[in-house]
Amino acid sequence: MSAASPAADRSGDAIHLTRIVKRFDGAQALSGASLRVRRGTVHGLVGQNGAGKSTLIKLLAGLHQPDEGRIEIDGQAYDKLTPHRVEELGIHFIHQDRLLVPTFTVGEALFLGREPRIPGTPFLDRRLMQRRASEILDDYFGVRLPNSALISELSTAEKQIVQITRALLDQPKVLVFDEPTAALVRREADILFRLIRRLRDEGVTIIYISHYLNEIEELCDHVTVLRNGEDVATLALSETSAAAIARLMVARDIADMFPKRSVVLGKDILTLDRLSVRGKYQDVSLTLRRGEVLGLTGLLGSGAKELIRTLFGLETATSGQIAIDGRAVRSVNPAQAVDQHLALVPEDRRGNGVALDLSVTENITLSSLKRFTRLGFLYFGGERREADDLIRRLEVKTAGRDALVRTLSGGNQQKVAIAKWLSRHSEVYLLDEPTVGVDIGSKVEIYNLIGDLAARGAGIIVLSSDLPELIGITDRIIVLFRGHVVREFVPSETSPDEVLATSTGSSETLRHVG
Amino acid sequence: MSLQTSPIEASGLPRAIIGAIVNNALVLALIAVFAVFSFATPTFLTIANLQSILVNNFTLLAIVAIAMTFAVSVGGIDLSVGTAVDFASFAFVSLVLAGQPVFIAALAGLGAGAAVGAFNAILISGIGISPFLGTLGTLFIGRSIQQLLTNGGNPVYLPPTGVPEAFRFLGRGAIAGIPVPLVIAAGIIVAATIILTRARFGRVALAIGIQPSVVRYSGITARAHVAVAFILVGLIAAVAGLILSATVTVYIPSSGNAFLLNAIGATFIGTTLSRLGRPNVAGTVLGVLLLSIVANGLLLTGLNFYWQQVGTGLLIFAVLALSFINRRKATA
Repeated sequence: MSAASPAADRSGDAIHLTRIVKRFDGAQALSGASLRVRRGTVHGLVGQNGAGKSTLIKLLAGLHQPDEGRIEIDGQAYDKLTPHRVEELGIHFIHQDRLLVPTFTVGEALFLGREPRIPGTPFLDRRLMQRRASEILDDYFGVRLPNSALISELSTAEKQIVQITRALLDQPKVLVFDEPTAALVRREADILFRLIRRLRDEGVTIIYISHYLNEIEELCDHVTVLRNGEDVATLALSETSAAAIARLMVARDIADMFPKRSVVLGKDILTLDRLSVRGKYQDVSLTLRRGEVLGLTGLLGSGAKELIRTLFGLETATSGQIAIDGRAVRSVNPAQAVDQHLALVPEDRRGNGVALDLSVTENITLSSLKRFTRLGFLYFGGERREADDLIRRLEVKTAGRDALVRTLSGGNQQKVAIAKWLSRHSEVYLLDEPTVGVDIGSKVEIYNLIGDLAARGAGIIVLSSDLPELIGITDRIIVLFRGHVVREFVPSETSPDEVLATSTGSSETLRHVG
Repeated sequence: MSLQTSPIEASGLPRAIIGAIVNNALVLALIAVFAVFSFATPTFLTIANLQSILVNNFTLLAIVAIAMTFAVSVGGIDLSVGTAVDFASFAFVSLVLAGQPVFIAALAGLGAGAAVGAFNAILISGIGISPFLGTLGTLFIGRSIQQLLTNGGNPVYLPPTGVPEAFRFLGRGAIAGIPVPLVIAAGIIVAATIILTRARFGRVALAIGIQPSVVRYSGITARAHVAVAFILVGLIAAVAGLILSATVTVYIPSSGNAFLLNAIGATFIGTTLSRLGRPNVAGTVLGVLLLSIVANGLLLTGLNFYWQQVGTGLLIFAVLALSFINRRKATA
């Protein structure tokens, strides 16, 4: 069966978004982004975290409404899109974490909301469902999945197949793939690429979002680069390269916002020796010295995040050694890690970093309560002094120490999350995307704070996908790719696009790494 | 944060009044209920009746509800509070009947209640079952055990004569004119307030109830604190069990479950209507007072006894309505 006969006409645009503006709580997510996708092509969409990719896609999916701008689908302008309307228009979204309920069967997931009935009866036509599903599964993927299998029993790749099949049952005009290969092995990705090319040849329009620039290079006809909420370029892949795309993705005009200071490095404070977590990362060895700010970067699936989590006792190493101040340690849970003077400022600030409905004081002293306890009872005076002291030192803007952290801005919440560890007298700071969702002013203050901590002899690891930031504030940068340390950079001798090219596995860089 | 102007926000004075009502909702509700019943029935506002509210309605429920407050403070619930009440009562009465000193029997009763709590702690902190399901299991198991121990649910009576003096004192005695159960309840109220607001344990418990992941990411072993909270629930509920059996000089299997729903109601009324929306002892106690007064008042108005639970239900709806206004105000 042909999934997309109606798209025979290849001239014109399937999707045309013009000068889209979108604000959230005063923060500008999109400031005039345009995207024009020609019918029957594979169109890449790239940009760093925060560039506005996901906002743009959510607008197209009808999950958000634009504040300004124009959305045209198949030459027709739409004022208000709803997810339901978008699906009716033949636009389908494939995302690895979305849409599938684990306790459903394959059949239920495929036909949810549009179950075929036996004509003239209220009963589901299970035979027809099974037949239509196996036709597509067999034709496009060459696999057999019984309709009665549970979603939770499927592998990631199989779940994706179910999602795509669900979309194909509707004979889609446009398929949007959002980071489809993040959890796939190479062989599975190859199958996916073949499928995408075949769908394009059948006339389906594909929007392909990925961090992996080599995939964009391999697969796409055109690519649009987003930066800071705007589209900076739309290029034909025949006329550009992954390296050129990487350069476009990175802004260059904010180099002077990084307060660089030189700290004399002290003794080794943290040493990793061939640390591995099976299936996540392998044989990571590194040494962090007192006063050093070490940058760490890597895409989702590179193992960088898992490495940080292992150090804080949130994951268990399957082999290798961790030593702090020369003593071998084994953190099997965060409590032990904290006792070893480790501190984690997690990426999900509002979920894991601060308790929104506790006060500023209660958050700051949460980890160091023992210091403010006499015979099991809290010593409020000491607690208040500590909170006031840290609020002043970190310039936390709050109505007072008793204000709920919920009422603070993102940047000030982050300062509270860091203040918690200052109060605990931590010595090794693991900062996971420390400035995500933080305004520019607070960013600079947080950079200053990182510098202060280093100057006082702490060791700091910053995991960030904001590459100008890493180059601006760290002493060296380690790049992980698919579970391995692939390269180490000296910030003064590299550029954001070189680091990005390495972390995205863009072909030319990998070649000279060997 | 929201840019829309809510009707409440629109004008200053009504907003101030609504704010005042919402912030003191519990106290105002108490005054209102009190006033209504004082006018509705002549016998409500008498010393004898007010005493009866405190002794018959308030004391035991207050103790059980405070126990429940500790479970709620760590973000859980304990459906087996009544089981702890019953086990304590059974151990206490049985040992007194067997001629053991009252002091020893009371300790055994407290131990029995704490053991129920410890069992819950193992289910919840050790195995990782959700508090709701874990304590529901305990409730069923506890009911069966009581039936097995009493040949299918026969009460264990103490003889009307020959009850030890200390036992009688616990149930019916008075200190400076104040009934002993009320004195004990007051002691528990004070101690629980201090633990929840001034002890490190209380702070961590509330933090677990509010955002458990942050507690974990702060390097605190939340499970240990949850375990202690559930043992405390059993221990405090056991006190109610001792007082109950000393008052009525009998152990009736599974009678403690009668407190369960009211204890949950009082705790959540107190939590919902507190300024920060946190479980707190004062709120729980006011919630118990509110429920006690409504129960007593409705009885005095001569209304059919079976209407009493309608009153309780309406009260909970009223609390929900108030908290809804409260939330609108908070987000405006």
